[in-house]
Amino acid sequence: MTEVTSQRLFGVSDAFDQPVVAGLTIAIAAILLVTPALAFLLLKAKALRGSVYREVISKWKTWAALTPLLIGPIILGAFWTVLLLLGLSLWCYREYSRATGLFRSRGIHVSVVVGIALVHFAVLDHWYDFFVALMPIMSIVIVVVGLFPDEPKGFIQRVALGIFGFMLIGIGLGHLAYLANDSAYRSIILMILVSVEMNDVFGYVAGKLFGRRKLAPKTSPGKTAEGTIGALVLTTIMVAVLGHWVFEGTKLDYPQTLITLGLLVSVTGQLGDLTLSSIKRDVGIKDMSATLSAHGGLLDRFDSLLLVAPTVFHYVGYFLGIGLDQPARILSGSV
Amino acid sequence: MALNDWRYKPATDIDLSPSQRWKSVRRENGLFEEMTQGLWWALVKAYLKCVHSLTVYGSKQIPRVPPFVFVANHESHLDALVLTSIVPHEVRRRVLPVAAGDTFFVSPLVAAFAAACLNALPLWRRNTGYHAMLELRHRLISEPCSYILFPEGRRSRNGLMMPFKPGVGMLVAGTDVNVVPCFLEGTFEALGPQSRWPRPHPIHVRIGEPLRFQQTPNDREGWTHIARELENRIKHLTVLE
Repeated sequence: MTEVTSQRLFGVSDAFDQPVVAGLTIAIAAILLVTPALAFLLLKAKALRGSVYREVISKWKTWAALTPLLIGPIILGAFWTVLLLLGLSLWCYREYSRATGLFRSRGIHVSVVVGIALVHFAVLDHWYDFFVALMPIMSIVIVVVGLFPDEPKGFIQRVALGIFGFMLIGIGLGHLAYLANDSAYRSIILMILVSVEMNDVFGYVAGKLFGRRKLAPKTSPGKTAEGTIGALVLTTIMVAVLGHWVFEGTKLDYPQTLITLGLLVSVTGQLGDLTLSSIKRDVGIKDMSATLSAHGGLLDRFDSLLLVAPTVFHYVGYFLGIGLDQPARILSGSV
Repeated sequence: MALNDWRYKPATDIDLSPSQRWKSVRRENGLFEEMTQGLWWALVKAYLKCVHSLTVYGSKQIPRVPPFVFVANHESHLDALVLTSIVPHEVRRRVLPVAAGDTFFVSPLVAAFAAACLNALPLWRRNTGYHAMLELRHRLISEPCSYILFPEGRRSRNGLMMPFKPGVGMLVAGTDVNVVPCFLEGTFEALGPQSRWPRPHPIHVRIGEPLRFQQTPNDREGWTHIARELENRIKHLTVLE
């Protein structure tokens, strides 16, 4: 393993070399500290109803616990980032498989778990060809394993649930992990996490303030067209500003490309949210699980990431490439 | 609509938080529990064989398919380990020892161990009424699964068998569930309620012929009858050579 690679995987000395990493970390900490105080002041000023206040505070508690677990590994190094995303993917898939009942189809269930582990091996190895090959390979594996029980009843359902789950969670979150192979991974991943979560917050706030017309009443009755547009505008501005710092001096650092990036994040973020809402409505459950007690499962919290990660990955990849200056196949060795 | 709806069947414990889930009778195992339990029972089997030279008489009587209920005398924490370990591998993942809630499911860590390794279900001794048993009865028949149950309700403090409580009857009265009477010998000496560490005393298990209580009425009288019948069967096993 070269020095460049071990520095990327485990080095913390250069963690804040990009000012935007330090800026984002401080901004996240500041948001976490200010939110309860702001909510309390609004409550005292009678601008916030008690029920809304309690909802905000209990959401805040969940985030206060989750944030260090997310940010910590990203600061510590690419290795820990990949490990974090492997854990997150496996847990999200666990929730998906238990919600849909797929976990009872032993062979397919194990295949998807192994597939997710392989995705993160390919990521850690920095082996893009294998990373890309895993979607067709795992599709074939799942179809074949689906044949083993010699039970045609429900064949399409269990195979489709397996491939869909692997694609949505394994490949979706896998793209976020793959970004850890870029030398500027900290800033890109932090920007995605912050803007995706703020996209939700913007939508929620804009919806609460101006919400009139329902967007998709059957899929997600809480969503309004006004909330969506509010999130679209605010997130695009935010991503454009953050992106200017993250991609300073590169081919992406132009207003039109940055605004496009912002629009993509906001749109795919909200579509990811709707995707999970559709899954839940189809299954007939309110939350994917109760991992976070009253706040549903991890998948309910990170649903917006599922479509954003591959979108940003390939958009940035088109202009700049991902990790092109980093040694490849660090574990399997180049052949 | 061009397509019929797919029928999804979410996990039975989908709405429970991780800590609630460990303690719930509705808990449904996943890959994680199967791995921890596979490892745990391999270790327990090796331990019982090496340290207590476990011998089983009448293992042919063990049913190959759930539902069934193992009923035994209770003298030691080893009892449930012994009985679960003698069940054939392919049935074991559907065997659930019924354990005292106040001993095994109060501390979150012990509860996680009891659920993840032992696959135990809690029975709260303050609340062994009809409702609690009904929940267990429902799972036993509908899943179907198998239970390990000690109808004495607690470990015997002197090695002598105590009268059976009628709760076991509430589980099986009027059903065709096989009830297997088992007699455990040597677990009191190996790890009695008063001892802290196990001693390498040999353990024997005698397994009796399975009983069914299809015709027994599901009422107080029937439950008492079942408890007494099982108690007699196990007493009979003690004198068998």
